[in-house]
Amino acid sequence: MEIAERHVPGKRTVLPYYLTAAFCLVIIFLMALFAIKDFGGHFFQPHLLAITHLTVFGWGTMIILGATNQLMPVIADTKLYSEKLPVAAFLFLVPGTCLLVHSFWSFELTWPIFVGAFSVLSALALHSINIFVTASRSPVKNIVIDFVMTAHVWLMLTALIGITLLLNFRLGFLPAGHLHYLKVHATIGMAGWFLLLIIGVSSRLVPMFLLSRKELKLCLTLAYYLINSALVLFLTEGMILQSNAGYLFYYLLIAAGIGSYLYYIWRCYKSAIRKKMDSGMKVSFMAIGTICLPAVIIAAGMLHAKEAPVAIVTAYGYSFFLGFITMLIMGQTFKTLPFIVWMHLTRPDRLQQLQPKDLYNDKLVVLQQWIYLPGFLLFLSGILVPSGYLMYPGCIMMIAASVLYFGHAFYVVYQLKNERYRNY
Amino acid sequence: MNDIEITDPCYEEKIRLLQLLSLVRDPELELNIVDLGLIYGIDIDKGKKITSIIMTLSTPTCPAGDYIKGGVELMAKEACPGFEIRIEVTFEPLWSADNISEAGREELGW
Repeated sequence: MEIAERHVPGKRTVLPYYLTAAFCLVIIFLMALFAIKDFGGHFFQPHLLAITHLTVFGWGTMIILGATNQLMPVIADTKLYSEKLPVAAFLFLVPGTCLLVHSFWSFELTWPIFVGAFSVLSALALHSINIFVTASRSPVKNIVIDFVMTAHVWLMLTALIGITLLLNFRLGFLPAGHLHYLKVHATIGMAGWFLLLIIGVSSRLVPMFLLSRKELKLCLTLAYYLINSALVLFLTEGMILQSNAGYLFYYLLIAAGIGSYLYYIWRCYKSAIRKKMDSGMKVSFMAIGTICLPAVIIAAGMLHAKEAPVAIVTAYGYSFFLGFITMLIMGQTFKTLPFIVWMHLTRPDRLQQLQPKDLYNDKLVVLQQWIYLPGFLLFLSGILVPSGYLMYPGCIMMIAASVLYFGHAFYVVYQLKNERYRNY
Repeated sequence: MNDIEITDPCYEEKIRLLQLLSLVRDPELELNIVDLGLIYGIDIDKGKKITSIIMTLSTPTCPAGDYIKGGVELMAKEACPGFEIRIEVTFEPLWSADNISEAGREELGW
């Protein structure tokens, strides 16, 4: 059998995504600082739309695209189909996101927002093509590949619904109200793209990092079918029947899928040989725990009234993106990035004195988390209460954590230029 | 890997080879490959001047696979200068956690 090193993709397919995403995270919190008052109002307004789309494309999707370029060869045991497509996708994604975010912020729904949206769509299509062709060439077939592929299908559908919504702003051709479709757009994106992809990738990485002896693949299969069934029903009812009668049932299906996934992770942890976890894994586990937070918030909102109050909806979206997704990425960055840089610094024909752990500072990851977590919770409390006195210090703490994260990620990548490591 | 018998005619060479192989570490797990149980077997033929190593990786798609194999080759050359080095990477049987030595388990906090 061939050894996987030959599948390692080049630096350009991964590192620009990581660094751009880290930079965007700082910008997100700076924007949030200038839009704190808006968090107390309705979630469907320009500044929050701009922040959400920067979080989705500039941060979450940006880093996930880079990470999947690196991980897909490991998951599929084959080379990435193309190393040019990721570069092209990046060149479409960055200006597309800038145009989209700027247009939402100033709420100018003219040609730049459409250029931006189609540019982002092109980036996502190029990336998805690369992933699909890579998967089709894979000698292995497993549930992890199914998760990754299906997540990309939902990503494309989310982007297409997003563009339809933009066109609807101008032409007003959809029969139901805009907020109805926005709910479908957001749910498909959150559960279909982010959740499925994270479940798929983490179900491969967690047992690998922990050296788990037992993996309950059945739980993963169950999670896959529960979440996807819910999403298909959700999409059909929302877009074709223009109704939301079954939403509670679909949310319960998704919650059951998440429960099945959490049980899988728990069993991986229980059967792990590697009990000593580094800070990256600790932060990741904390993030996996926070997956329950948006579910609890939205459940509270649904029990409160038929339509959840706006503060609850804002808190739900905030806790999903800046709680679960952000903490997971922050933790996994310092599991994957030093390893990626290490592979480009070292050569197989030399004995490795340098190890990935030498390329980053574990204590900084802990510090970053100790600043981020209370900041996140303060801000969340500020949205729910609502109170600027809670949101301002929370936001400043998140800015500090994001600056630390960006600096640290930049430092890790900069080691590629470090003369000290040239002879490794 | 089976213990090396003291009566083995290549006992000293094999012990030296194992000691050198212990310098090769898995970059992710931060444990040396001997304690990790990646070495399935070693054979030294002094007459034909051939050193054969059968090894595995923690997963078939281990991204550091070539680096680990490269380290094994380097150490084998150092332990047996002038010998032809043959390395076979096998996934039968697949590596499992049971392969980890007592010292390795302690280091991993098991």
